[in-house]
This record gives sequence, C-alpha cells and structure tokens, in this order.
Amino acid sequence: MIPLTYNVRSLLIRKTTTVATALGIGLVVFVLASAFMLGTGITKTMVGAGRSDNAIVLRKGSDTEMASSLEVNTLGLIGAAPGVKHSNAGTSLLSGEVVIVIAQDKLGTQGQVSNVLVRGVPATALEVRPEVHVIAGHPPRPGTDEVMVGKGLRGKFAGMDLEQSFELKKNRPVKVVGIFESGGSSFESEVWCDVDTARSSFGRDGLVSSVTVRLDSPSKFDAFKATMESDKRLGLEALTETGYYEKQSSGTALFIKIMGGVIVFFLSGGAMIGALITMLAAVSQRQREIGTLRALGFSRFSILTSFLLESSVLSLAGGLLGIACALCMSFVKLSMMNFATWQEVTFSFDPNPAVLLGSLVFGGLMGILGGFYPALRAASVSPIEAMRG
Amino acid sequence: MGLVTIAVRNIWRNKLRTVLTLSAVTVLVIFFLLLRTVIWSWTASAEQGARDRIGTRHKVSFIMQLPRRYVEEIRSVPGVKQVAHASWFGAKDPNHTDDFFSTIAVEPKEFLEVYDEIKVPKDQVEAWKQDRQGAIVGDVLAKKRGWKLGQKVVLQGTIYPGDWEFHVSGIYTADSPTVDRSTLWFQYKYLDESRAPRLQDQVGWIMARVDDPGRAAEIAKAVDKKFDDRDIQTLSMSERALQASFLGMVSAILRLIDVVSFVMVLIMGLILGNTIAMGVRERTHEYGVLRAIGFLPKHIVLFILSEGLALGMLGGLIGLAIGYPFVQKGMGPAMEENMGAFFAFFRVTPELVVASFFLASGLGLAAAIIPARTASKLEVVSALRRVG
Repeated sequence: MIPLTYNVRSLLIRKTTTVATALGIGLVVFVLASAFMLGTGITKTMVGAGRSDNAIVLRKGSDTEMASSLEVNTLGLIGAAPGVKHSNAGTSLLSGEVVIVIAQDKLGTQGQVSNVLVRGVPATALEVRPEVHVIAGHPPRPGTDEVMVGKGLRGKFAGMDLEQSFELKKNRPVKVVGIFESGGSSFESEVWCDVDTARSSFGRDGLVSSVTVRLDSPSKFDAFKATMESDKRLGLEALTETGYYEKQSSGTALFIKIMGGVIVFFLSGGAMIGALITMLAAVSQRQREIGTLRALGFSRFSILTSFLLESSVLSLAGGLLGIACALCMSFVKLSMMNFATWQEVTFSFDPNPAVLLGSLVFGGLMGILGGFYPALRAASVSPIEAMRG
Repeated sequence: MGLVTIAVRNIWRNKLRTVLTLSAVTVLVIFFLLLRTVIWSWTASAEQGARDRIGTRHKVSFIMQLPRRYVEEIRSVPGVKQVAHASWFGAKDPNHTDDFFSTIAVEPKEFLEVYDEIKVPKDQVEAWKQDRQGAIVGDVLAKKRGWKLGQKVVLQGTIYPGDWEFHVSGIYTADSPTVDRSTLWFQYKYLDESRAPRLQDQVGWIMARVDDPGRAAEIAKAVDKKFDDRDIQTLSMSERALQASFLGMVSAILRLIDVVSFVMVLIMGLILGNTIAMGVRERTHEYGVLRAIGFLPKHIVLFILSEGLALGMLGGLIGLAIGYPFVQKGMGPAMEENMGAFFAFFRVTPELVVASFFLASGLGLAAAIIPARTASKLEVVSALRRVG
C-alpha cells in the first residue's frame, strides 16, 4: 500500500492546479448544500406551523385559508364533532379565524408595498397553538384594537414594532402590544389581532376563513374528518394542520429543490471534468514515478487505489471548504413570497447534518468519478517503458 | 504562418485535455444561457408592461373587491382614455387539479379595448359577446387541453364553489411576447349573476388606459385621491410599477440565481485557467528554446494569451451551438406551456447570445494571464534545464 502522505505531497507540489480544482469542487458542494438547506428551511418554516394533532376545517374546494369562508354558525357544529379536545373548563379547543392579506409599506424601499398576512383570532388561539409565545409585551386583549406581530416582521414593515401602530384600514389604527415567536414557523411572518377587529375592519361579519381544532390525539383525525365531510350540504373539508401546511409549501419548496437539482447537475458536470483534467495531467507528468513504484513492487491495484485516494483527498478538501461556506449561509435570512398565499415569509437556510454530510459525500463522489479514468491509466503504466522515458 | 496561428494550433497538442475542457465550458455556457433566460423572462414582463396602463386595486388587500361604480368614476378622471375591470375567479379543471391557469371575469368589449395586444378573430369576439357563458382562452392553454371552438368546458371554482360551465367562444393570441397565453377570460355578467347578492356589483381590479404615458404616475395619484375619503380606498399604479412590486416579492430567488450564475462563471474560469496552466507547465522547455533563439517575453505572452482566447472562443461557440437550440426549441415551448403564468415568453435574446460568447472568450483570455506572466518571467537557462 502506498502511503497517503505520498498523495498529499504530490498535491501540494502543484499548488495552483490543486487549489483551482478544489475550489471548483468546493463551489459545487457549496451550491448543492445551500440549495438543499434552503429547501429544508422552507419546509421547516411552513410545515413547522402545523401540528399533527390539530385539524383545520375549510370550505370544500378552496385550497387556502384565504379563499375559504365559513358561516360562524358552523363553529358550534365543528366543536361538537367527535375527537375534539376539551379544555379543563369543558369548552372545546377550537379557533375560528379570519385570514386576510394586506398591503403594507416595506421599510428600506422606495414606497414598495408587500403582502402581510393578518390573522384575526379568538382568545382560544393560543391554547390551540401552544408553540406561539409572546416574547415581548402582551397578547392583544379581546375586543380591542391591539395586535401582536411575529418577530419575522419586526423592522421589515412600517409601524410593525412594539408600541408602534399601523392601519388595518383607513382611520382604523391598531397598536402593536406584543411580539411573538413560534419556533421559526411561518406564523412569525403574520400579524395576529382579535377576530372581531379583523371581521369589522375587513367586512367579514358573520364569517370565518378557517377553523382550527385540537384533537384528543392524531389518531382521532379520521373520525373527525368523516363527521365533517358527511354532511355534503355544509361543504366542509378537514385536513390535518401538518397536511395543510405541507400542501401550502410544496410548490415553493419543490421549485427550490428542482432549481437546485438542475443547477447542481450542470455545475457538477463542469467541476467533475475539472477534476478529471487535473488528475490526467498528474498521471501523465508522473509516468516515470509510477513506473518506479511499479518496479519497486507495488501492484497495479495499489497504484489504482493510490490515485483514487489522491483525487478523493482533493475533492474532500474542496468539499469541506464548500460546506464551511454553506454554513455561513445559515446566518442569511431571505424573505420570499409564498406562491400559495402571496404572503411574504422570512426563511433561513437550515444547516441540518444530513444535508451537509450528503453534500460532502457528493463532493467526494465527484472526485472518485473524475479520478477513476486517470487512475486506471496510471495503473496500466508499464514499468519498463515508463522508466525508459 | 503568424505567431497566433501557431499558438492556436497548440490547443490540439493534448487532444483529450482540450476535448474535456471544451465540454466543461460547453456545459457551463449552456447552463449560463438557461439561468440568464430564466431571469430575463421573469423580469421582461415588468420591463415590457404597457406604459400607458394603470391598475387600481383595493388599498388594503388584493383579495378585497372594489365597488363596480368606481369604474365609471375612474373613467371621468382627466387623462383616462379607456377603462376595463377584471375579477379573479380561480378555477381548476377537475381532471387536472394540480395544473394552474388563470381564470378572470371581464367585460368583453372594454377588456379588448384596454388590452389591445390580445388578438381574437372578429367573428369569435362577436360570438363571445353574444354568449353569457362564453370565454376566450389563450392558444397555449387551448392546445394543451385540446379545447376546440364551441366546446363546453366545466371547471370547479375555488373561491366560488361548484361546477361552472363555460363555452370556448374564441381562442386568442397576442402580438406582445410577454402576454400569458394560458388564461381563460370569461364574461363578468356570468360571474356576477351567479354569485351571492352581497358579493354582486364588485370587481377585483380596474385597468385604465391613459392618453399620455409620461403622466401615468400622476394620473394614478389622481385616481387614489378621488377615493381617499370614501369607505374603500384604492391603490393605483402603472402596470410597470405593479409588475416591479411583484418582482420585489420574488427578488430573493432572482438574487440567488444571480449568485449561482456568478459561481458558474468562476468555475468556468478555474477550469480554463487550470488547463492553460498545465499546458504551459508541460511546455516550459519549449518556451526556453523560443527565448534562446531570440523571441522576446512579449511573444511568449502573446502565444499563451492567444491560446487562452482561442480556447474560450471555441468553448463559447460550441456551447452556443448546442445551448441555443436547446433553450429556444426544447425548453422554451415546454416552459411557456407548463409555467406560462411565470414564464410567458421563455426565449434566448440576441444580447444574451453575444454576452455569453464574449464571456467565454474573455474568461479564456483572463485565465491565461497568470500562466503567461509566469512563463514570460522564466530565465532562459532554468527553462531549458527543465525536462518534459
């Protein structure tokens, strides 16, 4: 077996080429890791908003909360359905909400507006969604024009910070009394106000957009769904909350992943050829050296492995560099439109170990694939001819 | 034979390496074309949006509606020529529920006046006006679904529940490439008469043509001012500003694509530089000989630079020869058909072709600079001493 130091030293001698090739591979690994980090970040943000033991009821055929509307009198019916959890006081844990997207002035742009989702919620909403915590101030009191805003909106839109105010409609200012977080989910890009405030500001009297209920356990969902959808005249549709948000995010997440896949396919093709060129040159320059190694008694197989190792070391070095850069991306926050709701949601790159490791392996694989043919050529060098020069 | 010709011939010295380099550059040029076309086609609609059209929507939210009487009031604003209103319907084909296309309710006559880039044969326009359930569909959508003139089409409403029956009265094309040819436009009458009374007499948004494009922003302000003390205020902007604000929402994606294009250019440069550096290292001895028989360092530089330039130009040409038909004939029609709402016109612009060629050539030249400097600075003696 030829020691690894031989390969490392050979790489160090040709510094420029080594660095250029490793950089090429590093860039590919960087793009690959970033694309998938963003993809998982999006899924985490949007799907993270849902709980598997929560169910959401919409009007049948409307794909989003925004397009849906239900009569307020269906609330009692939904609350009485089997499987719905009851609070200690004996009331059903249910939250009938009014959801609307409003245009707000974006800070730091020249008068550009963007869409913010406003959710009118009853007092029970915080019980149905316990992951929502107020981190500053207090939750809005029912029946007042107070709102709380997700921490993702803070400082991004005019008037959306503690003690500031903005208008839901003309001459209807609301005051921000609280900032909340929800473990990174898309709720953090929403404004929550009292349901009656939302109803009267947006002319939704007697209506809610959607109803979210807490179930006794996730397994109760099928029975709940059957009850909801049994009466065709009501035209209701029940989904698990997780399922609903998965459906909402699938378009955007798929778009990023397909885009990332196509990008990586092309980039890795280019970088792999780069590794191939480098290793081919290395082999042809070291003909004599390889001949000597063969004459010393190293087998064809150990020459083959040695050169494969050399290109793997090269690509792993590049890969590590790429991952280091990709990790820096986790400090970057992006705000992007969710294609399903037109609402602007803040995402981050999610540095999960599986993605990072996968990208590193992919980088190594590129090195092995690119180095295979040159290594084969090295192994087939005839010692006598090579040493003759 | 000139020095440059000799230099270019050097490219074929190591055929395998040259072929590999060229294929890497080719792949990256194709990809560059693709990415830039994505960005261009996304931004093109914003840049080519009509200058003389302004749109008016509900100030609070685009999902809230305006009273229909606002249409007439906007018509009376000085500078406004023609007005049309439109209402988002939202429908799915029950057999293809995942396939998105726009369904919008309009008043046929006004609509075709304001959107004069949409072309429908005269007899089909007449048929549409006569039929309450009539609709015109874009040729791209009609072809994809196999819808024929006079056909009955049943769609499921997402906002207005139930089955809605439409008749294909006309198939439209457009003389501006950025118009979405996958939309179904149908009679407002049909929508309004079929929905709940409390929703009636409302419209989604109002588009107005102004007589002087230069005053579009001013007129948009005048419109908003008119409704400022009403119950429902409006937000008006020129079509361009409207599309710019849409682009603002997807700007993160556009920025990411920009970053990737830049990364790609870097990789391309690294590969070209690597190839040239290796070629130069192998030929150090030769350069020593050239210097010894009287060639100057500047000749060596010329040698290596022209080799790099030729390599880049060749890669660019091959990339364009494959990539242009690939994007233009293969990807383009497929994107327009399946993602027409985002990419109404997915084609390579002539400017991009020129830019890609210069990019590849420029990179070849730039990549040769470092090897050329190193080679020209070598002492004749030490260059000659180097073997192989």
